[in-house]
Amino acid sequence: MAVSSARIAGRRVGNAVFVGACVLVTVLALAALAAILWSLASQGVGGLNLAVFTKSTPAPGSPGGLANAIVGSIMLGLLAMAIAVVIGILAGTWLAEYAGDSRYGSAVRFLNDVLLSAPSILVGLFVYEILVAPFGGFSGLAGGVALALLAAPVITRTTEDVLKLQATALREAGVALGTPVWRVIGKILWRSGASGIITGALLAFARISGETAPLLFTALNNQFFSLDMTKPMANLPVVIFQFALSAYDDWRRLAWAGALIIAVSVLGVTIIARILSQEQKRS
Amino acid sequence: MSIASSPTVGPSPRRSAPRGASFEPVFKALCFAAATALLASLGGVLVSLVIGGWPALARFGVGFLTTSTWDPVKEVYGAAGPIVGTLITSALALAISLPVAGGVAFFLVELCPSVLRRTIGTAVELLAGIPSIVYGMWGLFVFAPFFSRHVELPLMAAAPPGSLMETLVQGIPNGSGLLSASIILAIMILPFMAATLRELLMTVPPQVRESAYGLGATMREVVMTVTLPYVRRGAIGAVMLGLGRALGETMAVTFIIGNSHDFPKGVFDSGSTIASTIANEFTEATSPMHTASLIALGLVLFLITFTVLALARLMLRNQARL
Amino acid sequence: MNSLAPDAFDTSIVSIAPDRVKLDIQELDFFYGKNRVLKGVSLGVARNAVTALIGPSGCGKSTLLRSLNRMYALYPGQRATGRILFDGEDILKAGTDLSMLRAKIGMVFQKPTPFPMSIHDNVAFGVRLYESLRKAEMADRVEDALRRAALWDEVKDQLHASGLGLSGGQQQRLCVARCIAVKPEVLLLDEPTSALDPISSAKLEETVTQLKADYTIVIVTHNLGQAARLSDHTGFMYLGELVEFGETAGMFTKPVTSRASDYITGRFG
Repeated sequence: MAVSSARIAGRRVGNAVFVGACVLVTVLALAALAAILWSLASQGVGGLNLAVFTKSTPAPGSPGGLANAIVGSIMLGLLAMAIAVVIGILAGTWLAEYAGDSRYGSAVRFLNDVLLSAPSILVGLFVYEILVAPFGGFSGLAGGVALALLAAPVITRTTEDVLKLQATALREAGVALGTPVWRVIGKILWRSGASGIITGALLAFARISGETAPLLFTALNNQFFSLDMTKPMANLPVVIFQFALSAYDDWRRLAWAGALIIAVSVLGVTIIARILSQEQKRS
Repeated sequence: MSIASSPTVGPSPRRSAPRGASFEPVFKALCFAAATALLASLGGVLVSLVIGGWPALARFGVGFLTTSTWDPVKEVYGAAGPIVGTLITSALALAISLPVAGGVAFFLVELCPSVLRRTIGTAVELLAGIPSIVYGMWGLFVFAPFFSRHVELPLMAAAPPGSLMETLVQGIPNGSGLLSASIILAIMILPFMAATLRELLMTVPPQVRESAYGLGATMREVVMTVTLPYVRRGAIGAVMLGLGRALGETMAVTFIIGNSHDFPKGVFDSGSTIASTIANEFTEATSPMHTASLIALGLVLFLITFTVLALARLMLRNQARL
Repeated sequence: MNSLAPDAFDTSIVSIAPDRVKLDIQELDFFYGKNRVLKGVSLGVARNAVTALIGPSGCGKSTLLRSLNRMYALYPGQRATGRILFDGEDILKAGTDLSMLRAKIGMVFQKPTPFPMSIHDNVAFGVRLYESLRKAEMADRVEDALRRAALWDEVKDQLHASGLGLSGGQQQRLCVARCIAVKPEVLLLDEPTSALDPISSAKLEETVTQLKADYTIVIVTHNLGQAARLSDHTGFMYLGELVEFGETAGMFTKPVTSRASDYITGRFG
């Protein structure tokens, strides 16, 4: 029985079409992403100068920069990470070491994953309800808490995964010496999983760096340079949002510059995280 | 040192419990508290949305979901516009993004020469981290003018009067609108979906693929009949994750959707999504009922995304169990 | 050809003088959930001697070993019934202080498990849990432990280097030193050389032979030659039961039961 050559030809054509489509689509996707990066670079660089880093946000038409927004974003990020790292590592440790197969553990794990992908604007609303409305004012603290709620699930997940990867024998060796479990965790397991946990923290930081929506109702924005976290706090994403949608050219230039700064720092942190995890894999 | 007097043999002045034993229950409690805090914050989001949105839901009832009148002056709020906008933009974005992401994933796994694989793969993953506000800005300042000039205007001009196509391409050709927002959203979730799908494809054991190739199957046949069915559940889960992201996305959409509460009449018409509405109006809300309506909108979004995300996790978990 | 007795036999046939018994295991049953994997095991572990546990995979020898320091307590669903008398005290009793038990009964695992810290800190880790030593005293303790583990000469110049940088055989001896530093009375070794190359294995075996003067040692091994070389008593296990137990020399030349004879001569395993 000879296989019909028409059938073989048909399969070949079908395959060629499929392969062609995959290649085409990849090229398109890469092109679109390249276009975005190109715009970002060309528009953003045009607006970059020393003043961007040294002067605060101006009124339209006056010269200025993004210094207060940059400092504000850094402070919000640090506050958020401080909270998120503590909660995330402890929660991840609980899931990996103490929760076992319990129903409660499964529930926490499941809901943590949901929180991880939840719309960030809703988290902003929640923090507004508990930290802004009752106290009658927007604040950097509220903004930091909102960002922390977005970062913590990421750290929880990666910490749990990293701890579960540690060899059972390592854990048992600590216990066999009579070590209290928390010391086994703190002195042995956390240390041997350190680079994985740090990678998780870096990725969480990258994730919250560009978040705008949750800050809209918590930290809001501040035209002036301020380090007071109990008041509204300037931050890059909200400034960009405000300036980009305005009608003023110099504001729009600053918006692009700000977008470039955020994109570069997010990429930088992500790259560092990947290098760390490659190092981890190599050892 | 003789064995007899060696330090590691013989009785020793030992403590009655190892150092730190008493801290153990404290540490365990701290960890438990942290885990519960996460649980509580998700619960808190739900509760605060219900409490905050209750006045609007009580006033408007089910009509809140079905009417599209949004009039702060008359204090009448109907969420149908943003809800429909959210669903349509997300669905369109997924429809556009999924084949592309799938193609990229297949390309990386089956076709890509290994020299390029790491670079392109890394590039895709890095791009998944670009904040959405960047996409929003690009959408408004670069994409919209281009789209308006090269797609919207020609299509609107070419549509024969009275046809279905004319109804579809209704709207103001300024580059903003439902379709533009969907495209930007699609580009935004693309890297994430491509990376997730690629990871999923890589879980297929090489022997399974190789046996298929060994039988003489073409690449398309291997993918369609072996690889895809193998990861089917996980793929559905990944798709739903992408959908969940699209539903909740604020910044990529707000810039370019046009922000109108009415039902969009055509794909080039302005609309709104739940997230864009809240983002635009919350800080300028004119009255408590306005605020409550916005929060009620947030509750609707929460329920939609929670359902989608919960289903997604279930699918992915069932995949992992295979 | 000697006619051999059936599988199980009365362990009282081989008795170790009561004052020489360090660990007296009496009718030990072990359960993984509903599964009974150890069935009425009874044997005496002689002090300052090496007792080997041999048998095919799945016979329960590791489970028996891990009952001696109650390692199974980490895992819900695993439990043991019976008695294990450690110098007369039943360690299976509820309320036994597990930490202090494990300070007296140390364990070395199949896979070398150096902690992620310096060699010095690895050895000092357990000591720091139970004693407050001055720096000089600690240095002495660390040196002594490393000497006894036959590792001192190789690492004395790099005590502050990471323990993870050592070779497999060195890491395993580091684990032995870590156990010894705490001044235990018993050492449990769970297939300690199965992950090591022949030269490292030989070194470790030498160490074990020297250690038995001061410690009671129980070793699980699937290497019959190793059991024959190192141990004074050997217990042969099969499907959760202790089938035969006796002085090593006698058991390897003239096993009493047919099943032990089949295993030792390689008819199965």
